[in-house]
Amino acid sequence: MDGGLRNRRILGWAATDALVLVVALFPVLWILMLSLKSPGTVTDGRFLPSEWSLENYRNIFEQDVFTRALLNSFGIAAIATAIAVVLASMAAYAIARLNFPGKAIMLGAALMIAMFPPISIVGPLYNMWRNLGLFDTWPGLIIPYLTFALPLAIYTLTAFFREIPWELEQAAQVDGATPFQAFRKVIVPLAAPGVATTAILVFIFCWNDFVFAVSLTSTSAAQTVPAALSQFPGASQFTAPYGSIAAAAVIVTIPIIILVMIFQRRIVAGLTAGAVKG
Amino acid sequence: MEAATAGTTSPARPARKRVSDRARAERRLGWLLCLPAVIVMIAVTAYPIVYAVYLSLLRADLRFPDEQKFIGFDNYITVLSSGLWWSDFGRTMLITVVSVSLELVLGMLLALVMHRALVGRGLVRTASLIPYGIVTVVAAYAWLLAFSTPSGGFIPHWLGIDHDLVDQAHPVTSLLVVIGAEVWKTTPFMALLLLAGLALVPDEMHEAAKVDGASAWQRFWRITVPLMKPAILVALLFRTLDAFRIFDSAFIIGQNGTNPKIETVSILGYNQLLNRLNLGLGSAVSVLIFLSVMLIAVFFIRVLGTSRPGEGS
Amino acid sequence: MRRPLLLLASVAALAAVAGCGSGGGAVELNFWAYNEPAGTFRAAAERCTQQSEGRYRITFNALGNDPDTQRQSLVRRLAAKDSSIDIISMDVIWTAEFAEAEWIKPWPKEWADRVAKGTLAGPLETATYEGDLYGAPANANTQLLWYRKDLVDGDPPGTWDELIDTASEMKEGGRIEIQGAQYEGTTVWFNSLIQSAGGQILDGPDTVSLEPEPTEAALGVMAKLARSPAADPSLSSQKEDQNRLAFETGQAAFQVNYPFIYPSARDNAPELFEQIAWAPYPSVAPGDAGKKAPIGGFNWGVGGSTKHPDEAFEAATCMRNAENQRDFALKGGLPPTLEEIYDDEAFVKEYPFAELIREQLRDAAVRPQTPLYSDVSLAIYKTVSPPSSIDPPKTAQELRTRVADALESKGLL
Repeated sequence: MDGGLRNRRILGWAATDALVLVVALFPVLWILMLSLKSPGTVTDGRFLPSEWSLENYRNIFEQDVFTRALLNSFGIAAIATAIAVVLASMAAYAIARLNFPGKAIMLGAALMIAMFPPISIVGPLYNMWRNLGLFDTWPGLIIPYLTFALPLAIYTLTAFFREIPWELEQAAQVDGATPFQAFRKVIVPLAAPGVATTAILVFIFCWNDFVFAVSLTSTSAAQTVPAALSQFPGASQFTAPYGSIAAAAVIVTIPIIILVMIFQRRIVAGLTAGAVKG
Repeated sequence: MEAATAGTTSPARPARKRVSDRARAERRLGWLLCLPAVIVMIAVTAYPIVYAVYLSLLRADLRFPDEQKFIGFDNYITVLSSGLWWSDFGRTMLITVVSVSLELVLGMLLALVMHRALVGRGLVRTASLIPYGIVTVVAAYAWLLAFSTPSGGFIPHWLGIDHDLVDQAHPVTSLLVVIGAEVWKTTPFMALLLLAGLALVPDEMHEAAKVDGASAWQRFWRITVPLMKPAILVALLFRTLDAFRIFDSAFIIGQNGTNPKIETVSILGYNQLLNRLNLGLGSAVSVLIFLSVMLIAVFFIRVLGTSRPGEGS
Repeated sequence: MRRPLLLLASVAALAAVAGCGSGGGAVELNFWAYNEPAGTFRAAAERCTQQSEGRYRITFNALGNDPDTQRQSLVRRLAAKDSSIDIISMDVIWTAEFAEAEWIKPWPKEWADRVAKGTLAGPLETATYEGDLYGAPANANTQLLWYRKDLVDGDPPGTWDELIDTASEMKEGGRIEIQGAQYEGTTVWFNSLIQSAGGQILDGPDTVSLEPEPTEAALGVMAKLARSPAADPSLSSQKEDQNRLAFETGQAAFQVNYPFIYPSARDNAPELFEQIAWAPYPSVAPGDAGKKAPIGGFNWGVGGSTKHPDEAFEAATCMRNAENQRDFALKGGLPPTLEEIYDDEAFVKEYPFAELIREQLRDAAVRPQTPLYSDVSLAIYKTVSPPSSIDPPKTAQELRTRVADALESKGLL
């Protein structure tokens, strides 16, 4: 009887799991199906393709607009992530480890920025970038991304750094290493997992941005995929661009799915560490 | 923030005698390590927001560069006396309240599933991270293309509706699609934040209450919720601020911000700034959005007593 | 505050991969234009590149599909003094705004004279601001009343009232396809209506006209159509292309639209194409059909920060020569701006409504010429769309306030 109850509960949970899975994946599945329709049947209103085809993918990869945007997205997100993680590691180390006045202000400021509405600074940034020649360039996006990624990175890293066994560092310092050497030789390797997690979160953040991309870029010189998507022209005359949009959408989703599958545990830990545990 | 300070001092507090030199070196290193991050954050937020306040006091229309002049609070008067600002503001609040409430309920359910499920916890976590990780613009397109007739959406087809559900002529369904997309995309994040809070509720308390004959429902309301209150408030704070800034999904679902029926304050600001290039007026909208966000944050922290993230036990 | 920012900017600039290459010999010209559905603008760029014999190479860059999107992506780059904008396709309504802001170059006399020669006066006027030429009229445009011979008996209606009544009484297909969404096309409609009723939107570049009587008459027509059974259920979200599609799929007997629908129907709906007929643009008062019809079109402008103005003027002139304009008209349905083409019998044979178009362009309803046009238009279409919610006296009052605000670049839009 006990076994029967248990089985029933397992079944109940399995059904719940299935429901969550369907809800979470349905829109993704729909965009995938849409991308696999042949251009002529994209607007037929069916969920499943009546004619399966890779034509939409061929179309977008033949277009400079998309391949350049993909390159921009990768490059800009990677550079911004690298810089943000380096700067944030330094700050988070200091916050988690050292005693100095102004620490509270530092964290408070980071928090304020995390809550900052990006649209509020898009106008001034556009005007400044226009005068500095940074409009529609990589640095023009990397700089704002850095700013908004830093609070996230500092919080997450501070949380991770507190878990590190500091005795090792002390030992190194007793052996005559300077605080900086101790930081570099002992702590960095220990901190690597946390840093990697933070890097993933920051990368997803930059990869995702739309407000800055659509406001501060306008051509293939720096336009990232989300911005390019919103301005896709049709692949050919009288063809609506929906098929291309769907195909491009699937392509930019793939890296995210891979990251999520591999680093599921880490991402969960990172997200909650930064936000709740502090 | 207190936790941060406390955490750092405990393991390696230097002995009193050596305070002077070591402390000074440590202080210098601390500042030095924080400096680059601080500079970047200030340069790209504090400076522009001050600049935005300055611009908002000017007639600054890039189409008339020679006619720039100081006009005091005229731009604010224009914005605050405009029906458009208030209708967009009301709409943004509506989207915020409805979607955050739905997210809280659904997020709590999802968190309970992740916490208690006997089978497939990893699977559920992975699956629900996908909406979180997916590009917001992509998610918005998935919803737009599913509901819009000209693009061959399958939903109107299934429901046998031949008109578009997300155009100017159908404001209610358009708004529902925006909320749907928002809720789908961010419920997992809410769930993860709640899950962390859920983990802090000791099992023993549940067992004790069970022995006393409390039902699962009673245990949830009397034990879980009160203990989770700090986590719930932090999650609500985060999501409310985020939802109020909604831009991406409303912009995409509104056909690049051209559907006035789902225009939010962020889109309104964007249109003034980057389409009309009216930096003065647009900056006034920006500053008002900034102030609204600050007010929401203050409301949560002061009135509801949300502990600032990082301040937890 | 500036210094750290500059420092950061340069650090980041170092880190970035700047990509910018140019081939030897030919000057690279970037042409940013409406992605004309039949591909004729792109073809013109290729033809002129070949004809230049290696002096310049024009790269065609597609802008969005509707004028609002095109303007959006152009203005913020023009305001940023983007030197990669050499030639642009400008909707006729942008001339004053772009010229005033110095985003486009005035045409030097020798090129301006070449452009003016043989060009219809109406289109030339749309490219002129304060006496200087700022664009080469590449195509004109005007709307006609298109209808189905198989569904409409006898003479086509001449006034809006007749049109709405005729369509409403029809048993089958009694629908009128027209633009009613919140976008430029609705301003176009309103502007023609108010001028047809004897009024206008502005008296000068910075004074509101909008006399109550003609304004209310114009709004009355819009409201009547929107509330009649002849209105398309999605009128409040319809633009030109949705109208074309609805007409091609046989949902409507009438369509008020530009001639691009003609070659499109020939390709997409050959059977229906046989039944298509055309009539002058309806008027408010009887006997005025074909007067105060919309005038639109594209002018080629030269970017204010281009590094190659000489080649740009030359290439722009080439891309609107008779050969290219004939192509725009026959494949894309876009009416020419050169007088000689209208006299060419071979052309008229394939473009049978040519004479009607030339006639309409003589006395068309030009939209207000003001640097603040885009704000004025926004104020108008946000007020009059959806047309079904128009209450003429009240809406007219609202229009006056909003247009007046727009002229002071005030008011949220």
